[in-house]
Amino acid sequence: MNKFLQIIFAGFIFFSSSVLHALEVIEILGGKASQIPIAVMPFKSFGAQKAIGKINSVIKSDLSRSGLFYALDTRGVVAAPNSDKEVNFSQWKSLEAQFLIIGRIDFLKKEKVKVSWSLIDVYKKQTVLSGEYVGKEKQIRAIGHKVSDKVYERLTGSKGVFHTKIAFVEKYNNQKYKLNIADYDGYNITSLLDSKMPIISPKWSPDGKKIAYVSFEKEKPVIYIQEIATGKRKLLANFKGNNSAPAWSPDGKRLAIVLTYNTNSQIYLINADGSDVKRLIRSRSITTEPSWSPDGKEIYYTSNQGGGPQIYKFNLESSEVSRVTFEGKYNLYPSLSYDGKLLIYLTQDQGKFKVALQNLQSNQVLKLTKGPLDEAPVFAPNGHMVLFVYKDYGKTTKIGTVSINGLKIDPLPLGSRQVQEPAWGPIKN
Amino acid sequence: MKKSILLTALLGILVAGCSSTELQESQPLNPPQPELQSMQADDNEGTAFTSPDLNLLELRGNPLLAKDKRGIYFDFNKFVVKQEYMEIIQAHAKYLNETPPANMKIQGYTDYRGSHEYNLSLGQKRAVAVKEALNSFGVDDSQIETVSYGKEYANLDCVEQNACGEDRRADIVYTVE
Repeated sequence: MNKFLQIIFAGFIFFSSSVLHALEVIEILGGKASQIPIAVMPFKSFGAQKAIGKINSVIKSDLSRSGLFYALDTRGVVAAPNSDKEVNFSQWKSLEAQFLIIGRIDFLKKEKVKVSWSLIDVYKKQTVLSGEYVGKEKQIRAIGHKVSDKVYERLTGSKGVFHTKIAFVEKYNNQKYKLNIADYDGYNITSLLDSKMPIISPKWSPDGKKIAYVSFEKEKPVIYIQEIATGKRKLLANFKGNNSAPAWSPDGKRLAIVLTYNTNSQIYLINADGSDVKRLIRSRSITTEPSWSPDGKEIYYTSNQGGGPQIYKFNLESSEVSRVTFEGKYNLYPSLSYDGKLLIYLTQDQGKFKVALQNLQSNQVLKLTKGPLDEAPVFAPNGHMVLFVYKDYGKTTKIGTVSINGLKIDPLPLGSRQVQEPAWGPIKN
Repeated sequence: MKKSILLTALLGILVAGCSSTELQESQPLNPPQPELQSMQADDNEGTAFTSPDLNLLELRGNPLLAKDKRGIYFDFNKFVVKQEYMEIIQAHAKYLNETPPANMKIQGYTDYRGSHEYNLSLGQKRAVAVKEALNSFGVDDSQIETVSYGKEYANLDCVEQNACGEDRRADIVYTVE
């Protein structure tokens, strides 16, 4: 990647970070290196199963997936420290580690473990953050994600998303479909719905408790809302024609949906309890894929009013429509970062389908992926990563993440599963 | 030496200052599987085939209405019903006009390229094009429901197999059959 692009990428991150209190952020972005070199040592376990000492690989993979960190290879490092006092700073400096994470795991009663960890600034020779977590042994990945979140927030000024959940659709030969929920990195998959008919467009409610989705089980698309904890669901929209593309308003009270009756796709608003359906945009063309701005004042959507699909926005107060994408002939599937400053969508570029990132202040567009058949990009709730679908060399579609600085594309470890239609859940406190 | 004592003291404060957080038990993500509604719940199969009102003899006997001729195919990125299908569409219009209780579903399809939702809208455009052709022969909207499956059953290798045309279509389906 050339220098120019790096600067633009840095600009993107700068704009999308809301909490820029930490001076480190500016140093990192303005500096020569665009990724923070960090060494994550194996945590030594005392009395606990040896396997859970691999918590460091969870932290390592979290931080490098974000694209903002470069996890150093620590194999062969002798004299691995287990506590801050044992750190030999000159050793770590020669490894070019700017930061170091160390820790230990102590086995407690009742299958519980205590994880103690520290984040050490090698240059300043001081511990910048440390903590302890107690949890069940089987929660070791969750504990690792919590450590990653803390480290991420301290060093980038933005909240980490390593404890969040995603949803996606798994498909078996056009005959069986599952709506799955998993950790953001693809682990701990559970199934929320099984169906013989396609499922598309899962969307998390802003509180993370429900998922709206489109199911074809009535031999046409209809919209359900399902509670994650109980599995209870209700039909939100089953009007004549298609019912699709649900999008929760930021307050969770309404959804924008797409209905057709016997005409082209048009965007409507409906209350989350199914009441008060009203048409939002009146158009002779297709209007679909609504996506709310975080302030709830605008809806971005796809329309073919100019021929090919382009992204437009509709202002709910003034009813004014304006076009948002101008580069290329095929842009669709918009969604916004949590701060409303960045737009992600699918673009066709020289015959290839790629994930595009547009800075809504400068309108600069970057292609984050190379294609050829990428799809369905959605932002992480902190805006620093994007989940997207790509077609692999076999016949299946896969899900991966790309960091918005474009430096890290990482598949989710979902094996041979055919997966599509990802959705990223909110940050829960 | 003095510096290292200071550092140790500082580390001590930092370590003492951190909390021991008990992780919450994660939510059981194994909810009871919701029962899916029966796929044909809305069809009254029991009476449909015996009802004389549905003129099933015509539906099954007229070669223009044959099941293997109920796919209307479109050109790439096109939504105009080609002239070659007009005779078939006119025959369906005649059947619907003469059989007021009969209901038709028109299902639109697309190839796999692009997003699921936008393709759903494109498939819908194809279904609507067929409906409008039926309208032009006097069929009322109350007898037709246009829906779309978009790219849901599209062939992921249609480009390599030169077979994407198969996916660009609208199917005529009678709810009684």
